[in-house]
Amino acid sequence: MAAISEPVVANAARAQLWRPLLHTSARYRMVVALLAAVTLWGLFAWGYQLKTGIGVAGIRRPVFWAIYLVNFVFWIGISHAGTLISAILRLTDAGWRKPVTRAAEAITVFALMIGGMFPIIHLGRAWLFYWLFPYPTERLLWPNFRSPLLWDVTAISTYLTGSTIYLFLPLIPDVAALARHTTGWRRRVYRALSVGWTGSDREWHALEFAMKLMAGIILAVAVSVHTVVAWDFSMSIAPMWHSSIFGPYFVAGAIFSGIAALLIAMAVIRRTLHLEAYLTEHHFNNLSKLLLLMSLLWFYFTVAENLTAWYGNEPKEMAVFGARVRGPFAPYFWAMVICNFVVPFVLLGIRRLRTIRTATIASVCVLIGMWLERYLIIVPTLSYGRLAATWGKYAPTWVEISISAATFTTMALLYLIFAKLFPIIAIWEFETEVMEVSSVS
Amino acid sequence: MDRRNFFKILSTVSAGAAATSCGTKRDALAPLLVPEHEIVPGVEQWHVAVCRECAAGCGVIARVMEGERTVERNGQKFRERVAAIKKLEGNPLDPVSGGRLCARGQAAVQGLYHPDRVRGPLKRTGARGEAKFAPVAWDEAIAGVVDKLKGRASDVLFLTAPEVSARTASIARFVQAIGAPAARTCSLQQPAGLPRYDLARARYVLGVGADFLGTWASPVYYMRQYGEFRQGRPGVRGHFVQADSRMSLTASNADEWVPIQPGSERAFLAAIGAVLRGENPKQEWLDACGVTEKRVRRIAEELKQSEAPLVIAADTEAALYVNGLLGNFNKPGGVFGVYASLGSAPQKGDVRGARVLLVDAGENPAYLAPGSLANVETIISFSPFLDDTAAQADWILPDHHALESDMAIEQPVSPKRSVAVGTAFVKPLYDTRAVEQTLADVAKKMSVAYAPVTPEEFAKPLLAEGESWEDVVRRGGVQADAQAGELKVPQALQVQPVERSPLVLQTYLSTQYYDGRAANLPWMQELPDPASSAMWDLPVEIDPKTASSLQIASGDRVGVESERGAIEVFAYVHPAAIPGVVSMAIGEGHAHFTRYASGRGANPLTVADAEKPMRVKISRIAGARGELAQFSPQDREQGPWGGR
Amino acid sequence: MSERTKHRWAMAIDLDRCTGCQACVAACHAENNLPLSDPESAAKGRAVHWIRVDRYYEGEFPEVKVKHMPVLCQQCDEAPCEPVCPVYATYQNAEGLNVQVYNRCVGTRYCGNNCPYSVRFFNWFDPVWPEPLQLQHNPDVSIRMGGVMEKCTFCIQRIKRAENDAKDEKRDVADGEIQPACAQSCPAEAMVFGDLNDPESKVSRMAGSGRSTRLLEELGTKPKVFYLQRGA
Repeated sequence: MAAISEPVVANAARAQLWRPLLHTSARYRMVVALLAAVTLWGLFAWGYQLKTGIGVAGIRRPVFWAIYLVNFVFWIGISHAGTLISAILRLTDAGWRKPVTRAAEAITVFALMIGGMFPIIHLGRAWLFYWLFPYPTERLLWPNFRSPLLWDVTAISTYLTGSTIYLFLPLIPDVAALARHTTGWRRRVYRALSVGWTGSDREWHALEFAMKLMAGIILAVAVSVHTVVAWDFSMSIAPMWHSSIFGPYFVAGAIFSGIAALLIAMAVIRRTLHLEAYLTEHHFNNLSKLLLLMSLLWFYFTVAENLTAWYGNEPKEMAVFGARVRGPFAPYFWAMVICNFVVPFVLLGIRRLRTIRTATIASVCVLIGMWLERYLIIVPTLSYGRLAATWGKYAPTWVEISISAATFTTMALLYLIFAKLFPIIAIWEFETEVMEVSSVS
Repeated sequence: MDRRNFFKILSTVSAGAAATSCGTKRDALAPLLVPEHEIVPGVEQWHVAVCRECAAGCGVIARVMEGERTVERNGQKFRERVAAIKKLEGNPLDPVSGGRLCARGQAAVQGLYHPDRVRGPLKRTGARGEAKFAPVAWDEAIAGVVDKLKGRASDVLFLTAPEVSARTASIARFVQAIGAPAARTCSLQQPAGLPRYDLARARYVLGVGADFLGTWASPVYYMRQYGEFRQGRPGVRGHFVQADSRMSLTASNADEWVPIQPGSERAFLAAIGAVLRGENPKQEWLDACGVTEKRVRRIAEELKQSEAPLVIAADTEAALYVNGLLGNFNKPGGVFGVYASLGSAPQKGDVRGARVLLVDAGENPAYLAPGSLANVETIISFSPFLDDTAAQADWILPDHHALESDMAIEQPVSPKRSVAVGTAFVKPLYDTRAVEQTLADVAKKMSVAYAPVTPEEFAKPLLAEGESWEDVVRRGGVQADAQAGELKVPQALQVQPVERSPLVLQTYLSTQYYDGRAANLPWMQELPDPASSAMWDLPVEIDPKTASSLQIASGDRVGVESERGAIEVFAYVHPAAIPGVVSMAIGEGHAHFTRYASGRGANPLTVADAEKPMRVKISRIAGARGELAQFSPQDREQGPWGGR
Repeated sequence: MSERTKHRWAMAIDLDRCTGCQACVAACHAENNLPLSDPESAAKGRAVHWIRVDRYYEGEFPEVKVKHMPVLCQQCDEAPCEPVCPVYATYQNAEGLNVQVYNRCVGTRYCGNNCPYSVRFFNWFDPVWPEPLQLQHNPDVSIRMGGVMEKCTFCIQRIKRAENDAKDEKRDVADGEIQPACAQSCPAEAMVFGDLNDPESKVSRMAGSGRSTRLLEELGTKPKVFYLQRGA
């Protein structure tokens, strides 16, 4: 992909990109209040669950895992938006990535924070979550490293650390610049975060190197993280879970939903912050193509996964497969196929239809579809276990729904606050040619 | 506790060795009442008792250990350590239970520690049926009862279990003393006096309508025999055919189930009998039961060919008739006569004519004969629970729980002439009184000479020479070798014509609740129903054809209506139900029966008869709320979308 | 090998004797302080039965058959529930029992998902027994708190008692001396418990019977519950 010329001059860009940091509109406050209300409601629901018992959720025997784990996989998937996409694009030196990367990296960090909460929320005794960490105790009890859940803990904490660094590194020049232009507490915060950045050549080279290195590392970590998440399921012997395809299937699905999340975030940023000049049709067009590619890849995996189960005709697998495609879960299944394949394929595959608006619609569909995909992986398998006498129906309760809803508002809230504190587009990347290192305006 | 240890204990006991040393953990079957200071945490004691959850009277042993309960005295709450029963197991020395126990027997201990027991005598304060009561002192309650009985002896009807026991003997003596008619029963328990079937040694068994592995006679005794019948003899596996109008627990174990129309058991056996006699079975019999002549002939032929055939039927006369044709009396794998009884069991009675009704614990006419109490003036209940009948009573003089009582019961199914004996070993939890004691108090107040029959007095005739009562109490019963009575064999069977209608409802005793008496026990409520896997409720079982024609699916609410009344229940589409024959177990649908059973489910006896099926109409109730709780809703090994 | 496997406890269930009466289910409740359900929780699939009787109908009327099968924890040698627990709350003890450590359990419920027999039960809430039902509680069995998994233990408290008795008396545990509550109650004597390491034990002989099978054996879980199929 050819690099494109920067559309605006540096100073104007800075003025426009800094504006949201320095001015807060009433509408912003209102939206934040609304999101905070839903988030608080979700926190209340969680508090209620902690106090009363995990039984206030709809989970039951045999469906021991349900939408808490669906949310977990979903948000970990979303987290692939960022780091992975920005890392790939950075490593392939795709010039059009520049206005996209930070928005993407922020999604990663927040989605990971949210996703990482769910294994704790879903615990029967959530207050003992730290028993999953390897820390020395007087009883010399270590966690069980054979358990995929422990791999999860390791992978996700590594990924969270990595992507936080990866988000932070390109932020340094920007906060350094901000520290020079702001006053009061902002100045102190930005200065602290700028870790003494002066903008010397040595620092630039170090930063470049660190970012390249992190991009490489994060790519490996991201792929492994979602593979490990997939292994939570495929290491089990439950019908339709014990599948070797799950690792790549989950990674592909994660990137797929990550791109969709990024597209939506960009569309919202573009609209609300009036950054039409920075986030152009060109960016959306390229991301749409990427989304279309991932949709096809997802479809290929889905077919491969289900066709083999159907062709194999193993009774225990067929019970789950049948429940999905023509049993009680069929409406969700076909909605998923429409959302993840039909809609993106039509809207983004036909060039005439491919616009920012359709890309956004397709992305919303993909998010719904991917959430359903995770639901359809987790719940039917558990509902239709190997012994028919143990089959049971799951239905979520208000607690689960509240907590799930709150995660979306939390994501939006964190994103809004982030966008309020830091420029959502890496300004220095536009300014690399004309860096005024020491000038103070 | 295993059998080996148990005998070890007993041998030490009978050798006169005091059994109170603290060396081993299982050395006590000794003290009659366990004082608190003898309760050592972690040390178990075993005591004998008798299970009263059905008429069989299984001998049981109870594990007693420490327990804590909250008591309130003078407005202050504090914890009290008591000797508590932890678990019931069969008494290995008992000829009926043989160390085994059924689900209902296991749950009896929950009746003892039930949170909703009647804690002392109660007097009705509200209108009848409102179930409003005020606690009173025993003296006041006794005076109240005396007031109701005085001068009205001929109006009195005493209801008690259809069994021969110290309790029924005491009651018989009481009604005689006050000049009242003989006690009756309204229970659905099988009456005493059934012949004894030697299932264990039979080779080919034809069961007809008797759910002997579920609720008939003694499920524990017959299940013990069934195990032996199937796999207890090297190289021999008994073959089992069950003719039944429903896929009962017993039928579900048969090698062959012969579905017959409800009420046609006798016709079926008459047809079998005819073939055995070399005659042609009457067509009307075959029509009545809905079995082909070919099949009847084949089964009769198989019976005849077997070296040890046996016919077990709920219809005793018919069973004896066919067994007689097979020459099956008093031989291994055959039928044995009844032992001489120590008394006579109360006969079935109609409550409707009574003016003053005295209701022993376990009898529940308001539930088993709905509406029958409407014209009864006075109801006096001895129930330890506020059941359907007690809720309508004027006075409740609560009996101890069976596990707090002294008792002696003749065991009707026992292979020997035997009486099970239990003595109280835990203190009564509440201000309750044994019915025998209450009756003595009443008699005294009425200035009538009366003394209840003690367990010792009751069982005395069975004691061998030199056998001490202490021994009997420790062993939990006494067995005597005796000559069984002659079996009266009918020369021919009178077969009443069976009416057939398109849709009939038959009721049956449920495995969990028996005749409803165990519905107050949470363990029984959550025990999945063997047919539908329902918990905390009992559905009506409809065959798939009828269900689809009425557009009914499992879990739907349906209305069941007969000339007698109407109920609303959950439906279960039973894959093995006979088309046109709807079944429902008795057990739920109590107006009052503690927090665990009150107002739950429906009582099939409001629409149907316990003895014979009734014509009903069934319709789906659209938009009804609620959900049938099932432990295993899936009753097939594959779902409807299972294959390719 | 010798130290680890002095005993290998196992059970054999003769399906030809089993009638499906569920005496075992009630016995287990009485012995192991199982939490009580209520109609709402039962409808939600939260009733706890460490041992259950699976029943299936086969065929259509009138050629319909019923299959009963008591299913309890199969105490697998290769238990799928064990490796997935992140905190070692479930593991194989020296006598081959698959044990659950309630205090250690944090409630990921992964073991429950991974058990192909679905014999693991979760405490969704703290259990409640209305006074004085708690008097019946077996003091040898701990009450489980909300948020932890539980399952059949083969009545480990009875095993321990018998082993201690035998040790005190300086002898070996005799065959048939230990009976879990389910096997003890079974009127048809369908369930037999014993030591697989003793080739003469009843359970060893039954396990070697021609009728002997194991549930979902094809998964390689090596269950220690043997089902003797119906028939001669």
